[in-house]
Amino acid sequence: MARLLEVKGLRTQFFTQDGVVNAVNGISYTLDEGETLGIVGESGCGKSVGVMSLIRLIPSPPGKIVGGEVIFNGQDLLKISDSEIRSIRGNKVGMIFQDPMTSLNPVLTIGRQITEALQLHLGMNNAQARARAVELLELVGIPSAADRLDDYPHQFSGGMRQRVMIAIGLSCNPQLLIADEPTTALDVTIQAQIVDLVRKLRDELGMAVIWITHDLGVVAGMADRMLVMYAGMIVEEAGVKELYANPRHPYTIGLLGSLPRLDQLTGEKLDSIEGLPPDLIALPKGCPFYARCQYRIERCKTDTPALENVGVGHRAACWVDVTRDPVTTENPWHTA
Amino acid sequence: MALNAKPRTMFSDTANRFSRNLPAMMGVVVAVAMYAVAIFAPLLVTADYSAIDLDNVRSGPILQHYFGTDELGRDVYSRVIWATRSAAFVSIFVPALSLILGVFFGMLAGYFGGWVDTIIMRVGDILFAFPGLLFVFFIAATIKPAVLDWVKTIGLREFAKQGYVDYIVIFSALALVGWPGLARLVRGQFLTLRNREFVLAARAIGTSNWKIAIRHILPNALTPVIVAVSGGIGGAIAAETSLSFLGVGLQPPNPSWGQMISDYYVYWRSADLWPLLLIPSIILVAVILAFTFIGDGLHEALNPYLE
Repeated sequence: MARLLEVKGLRTQFFTQDGVVNAVNGISYTLDEGETLGIVGESGCGKSVGVMSLIRLIPSPPGKIVGGEVIFNGQDLLKISDSEIRSIRGNKVGMIFQDPMTSLNPVLTIGRQITEALQLHLGMNNAQARARAVELLELVGIPSAADRLDDYPHQFSGGMRQRVMIAIGLSCNPQLLIADEPTTALDVTIQAQIVDLVRKLRDELGMAVIWITHDLGVVAGMADRMLVMYAGMIVEEAGVKELYANPRHPYTIGLLGSLPRLDQLTGEKLDSIEGLPPDLIALPKGCPFYARCQYRIERCKTDTPALENVGVGHRAACWVDVTRDPVTTENPWHTA
Repeated sequence: MALNAKPRTMFSDTANRFSRNLPAMMGVVVAVAMYAVAIFAPLLVTADYSAIDLDNVRSGPILQHYFGTDELGRDVYSRVIWATRSAAFVSIFVPALSLILGVFFGMLAGYFGGWVDTIIMRVGDILFAFPGLLFVFFIAATIKPAVLDWVKTIGLREFAKQGYVDYIVIFSALALVGWPGLARLVRGQFLTLRNREFVLAARAIGTSNWKIAIRHILPNALTPVIVAVSGGIGGAIAAETSLSFLGVGLQPPNPSWGQMISDYYVYWRSADLWPLLLIPSIILVAVILAFTFIGDGLHEALNPYLE
């Protein structure tokens, strides 16, 4: 399939009073048309900033994309003008946000918020845009859509609002849909509905999806490929089955170990990764995961490992081969 | 409540709460009466505001002159009504001008920040630092003659003679000291609202900065602005009255309550002429209180969680 997106060495920093926050530190990946990429990692690891940088949604100041390329349809999105990037946002690239309770404007009707992109990008008039908005609301499963167009966001539940957000994200038939933790703020049953909905729409409309989450379970059934991020870097990339079956980075192993499993004995404690991610203002030399890593060796302290092939379509950034090398420390955080 | 009941809108909720506020509703009655009198002034008056009845000079209330006449034989009843028109103009144009300036500059400062913000807010601070009335006094005294001359040179002699220049200069001066307060309010709203998630969502669909500021943020910022403006109307009327009382506001023959109070306050102990002073004073107080109550009522109706 044709290449849709190629990110090369993307770096984003925030210039704050306390110093420069290295939010995204040179990430590179590709995405084909119609492909679904899951990005996982804990809070503050640069997942959101990484994808927001793609369409230059970083608040500036204090944020700044300091390096790299984002080639979308052969065009570097970081080099085009402000009006050109606006014609891509919402049009070729749709976005869904984490909290549907706050990402809809409370004083504008649902209809007005859905028709905005349609009028802006597709040049529809009011009547056409409203007709399309009804179609979109039906598409995302809102009953009696035509009657609800003039309702305000407070008249919708959280799950319904997220459906509206999806309708807005999809309104112009984007080639890429970015979903930034779209299920995190919803309760579990609604989460499953939203995941199913996006999967169904992706299959119908053939768009590519980047799905950010910190919940490995949510993306497992949806993504083709996964990126694992840590401290603003990609530490592992693999096909979804490969990643779950054969994780090669100690951090990924830790993440998978922290998931509850159906075959787990009751009363057993979940594994957790001890400690906290490093301070992004003063990133340590060497591997960013060093302080929390069970497999660490001397070299990890001084040299940052690069992302290298460890299998077919499988890359990991680790000096150690976790399939062969032994655990060196059981409780790294306390001996660090 | 039935499930299919029509959901109440924010507007109907607000109107409902407002209508239960007695002082505010009395304020509305007084304000409506004032505008009605202003609009229908030509039908209500018994004389022109500068017409002189030499047979009845300094009469107390009599049949031809309901409120009496002053030392020039002018009908006070008619003058009060014509002056209502001036007050109505003040109550519309001064807040409207302040609102336009305040919202525009506050929006620019709050949304774009940086040096735009610095410049606008420092200019506002400078205007704020002057005692407001003194500043208007200064403008009225220095700029008005120049504007008057200029209007005459461009051939609008008749326009100048009608006293419209008075209105324009005084209104502009009052708006000039009025907008920084509103700009601060709007800026504060924008500073908090611009970081809200729905603004990010609007940017994510490619909406331009101007559209985001006007369509997405401004409607969310309006509540305190509405309250401030409606409460400020009374202040604008009071300011114009003070200026006219001091003789730098609307000039005779344009009628104004301030002028009348200034002209007639000598009668405050007169046995038969006291209504000349009392009537415009009572009307002035009633109108200012009315707008203050309306402002308070709106404030409470729009912020139901205050209590």
